[in-house]
Amino acid sequence: MDNNMSEFISKSKEIRKIILEMCIKAGTGHVTSSLSCIDILIALYHGKVLNYDANNPEWSGRDRFILSKGQGSPALYAVLADIGFFDKKELEKFAQKDGKFGVHLQHDVPGVEITSGSLGHGFGIAAGIALGAKMNKEFYMVFALIGDGECYEGSVWETAMFSSHNRLNNLVAIVDRNYLCVTDFTENLVRLEPFEDKWKSFGWDVLRIDGHSFEEIFKSLEGIRSRKSINPLVIIADTVKGKGIESMCYNPLWHAVVPTGEEEEKAKLCLERWCNYE
Amino acid sequence: MNSISQRDAFWNKVYEMAKEDRNVVVITADMGAPSLDKFKKDLSSQFVNVGIAEQNAINLAAGLSLTGKKVFTYAIAPFITLRCLEQIRVQNAIMEIPITIVGVGAGFGYPDSGPTHHILEDIAILRAMPNIIINNITDSIMASAFGEISYNAKKTNYIRLDRQLIPDIYTRKHDFTKGLAILKEGKDFYLIATGSMTHTALSIADKLAAKKIQVGVIDVYTFPIKEELFLNTIKGAKKLISLEEHFLPGGLGSSVCEILNDHKILIPVKRIGLPTDKGYEYCYKYGGREVIREYYGIDDMSIERKVMEFLK
Repeated sequence: MDNNMSEFISKSKEIRKIILEMCIKAGTGHVTSSLSCIDILIALYHGKVLNYDANNPEWSGRDRFILSKGQGSPALYAVLADIGFFDKKELEKFAQKDGKFGVHLQHDVPGVEITSGSLGHGFGIAAGIALGAKMNKEFYMVFALIGDGECYEGSVWETAMFSSHNRLNNLVAIVDRNYLCVTDFTENLVRLEPFEDKWKSFGWDVLRIDGHSFEEIFKSLEGIRSRKSINPLVIIADTVKGKGIESMCYNPLWHAVVPTGEEEEKAKLCLERWCNYE
Repeated sequence: MNSISQRDAFWNKVYEMAKEDRNVVVITADMGAPSLDKFKKDLSSQFVNVGIAEQNAINLAAGLSLTGKKVFTYAIAPFITLRCLEQIRVQNAIMEIPITIVGVGAGFGYPDSGPTHHILEDIAILRAMPNIIINNITDSIMASAFGEISYNAKKTNYIRLDRQLIPDIYTRKHDFTKGLAILKEGKDFYLIATGSMTHTALSIADKLAAKKIQVGVIDVYTFPIKEELFLNTIKGAKKLISLEEHFLPGGLGSSVCEILNDHKILIPVKRIGLPTDKGYEYCYKYGGREVIREYYGIDDMSIERKVMEFLK
């Protein structure tokens, strides 16, 4: 694992700008949802936590990464393009005429495993793949990135219960805990905390980290293939929805909204400032 | 009366194939069957019970299918179709991940259990989605054949099993990939039926024959209906009657009318099934399947009367 954090921080700045640009150009996309999980994705892909082959996306030995929160697709597309799964020019056509992909995740994009957008599905599919891997005696890992708002779906807990009972220790869930849902903060809507206790009581090993700290992300994933535990692992990553663009943070109104006019300029300026400051 | 249920005939066939192919996996949402007890005992590594969690069953099935497994999910029909409908829509219809969905209790198959356990809308609902094949099983010979057809299927297919013991009417020689069959030759008039209603159609055709009214019987067991074969089969018919133990909107009768209309075949069609204006009220009537059918006007006598009036 490459622990040169400045390299990842630079990549994080670069890809944040790409995400904002592609969504502004398309006039659509979940900017803030993408920015809360982008550092996790960079750690997984650029940090080579995942085994993958950009030249052979279907390689049978690859780790399976399931973006269960399909609205974060701009982040995954930007990362996959950056590491060579497809031409970066595709990002410029995001959700536009002749573009190959839109707002929610599509399974036919190279490097993408599932179609997602409806929540609470991808996590269960990931568990199914993990179970299949065990049955087939294959040693790849399965990672599922799920949103905290997604955890309101009952199917998430059906899968959580099943996965620990069936000792799917080849399954890692990462929760993008950005505290915001569509209309309000999660703790105002229906309380998710104490979140770690919920997962523990469902039989999972639990870690809680800062989802924007590469040190903490990498540390939580260290030795991920040689864990002694029989339990699946959940990493609750505390994040900020819109991280990097102060003007779009801490306000539910920015869910699925792309800044225009003055707000666009403000967002770009905020991101530039953040990039210079970090 | 047949001694083996559609359910056991189906699972016995799947068991035979699972013994030869370790990639066959059964996921049950805590639904059992004597035939599945054997499967669980002999092939425990290929048997998964997820508890009463149908959404998870479909999601897991999709994941397992992506790893090369041939997955069969199983529960009472309304739960393994409608409780997890959106999972089926995304994983199986949109992503086209193939699995077999097995539901038991077609129509009023659990007559004493009330409407939660009846399934009267699934053909219409699943027929509305591309990439899902519905197989409404008529007898246990067909059920066994569909065990093998499902194993070889490249698309998601829904096996709709009757819960009650129903006599066999097919022979093992029948090619069940055809999707429909003429069970009784007709000329001017045909009864087009599906599932348990096919048995009713045969009995009514016999009664009408005794009254010198010749009516053919066609069993439609696969949806979408195979149009070309259907049109060839009813060629020259002057009137058609559809029979189904299912609400009328979107069911067999609707399918028939759509095909006829699309091909500009303007012959009268009488749809006999469950009218929606009575809602689920009669699903709370007890005393057996025939009692509920009588309330909804789809018992043998009511159907015979409606057919006679229509053919006048």
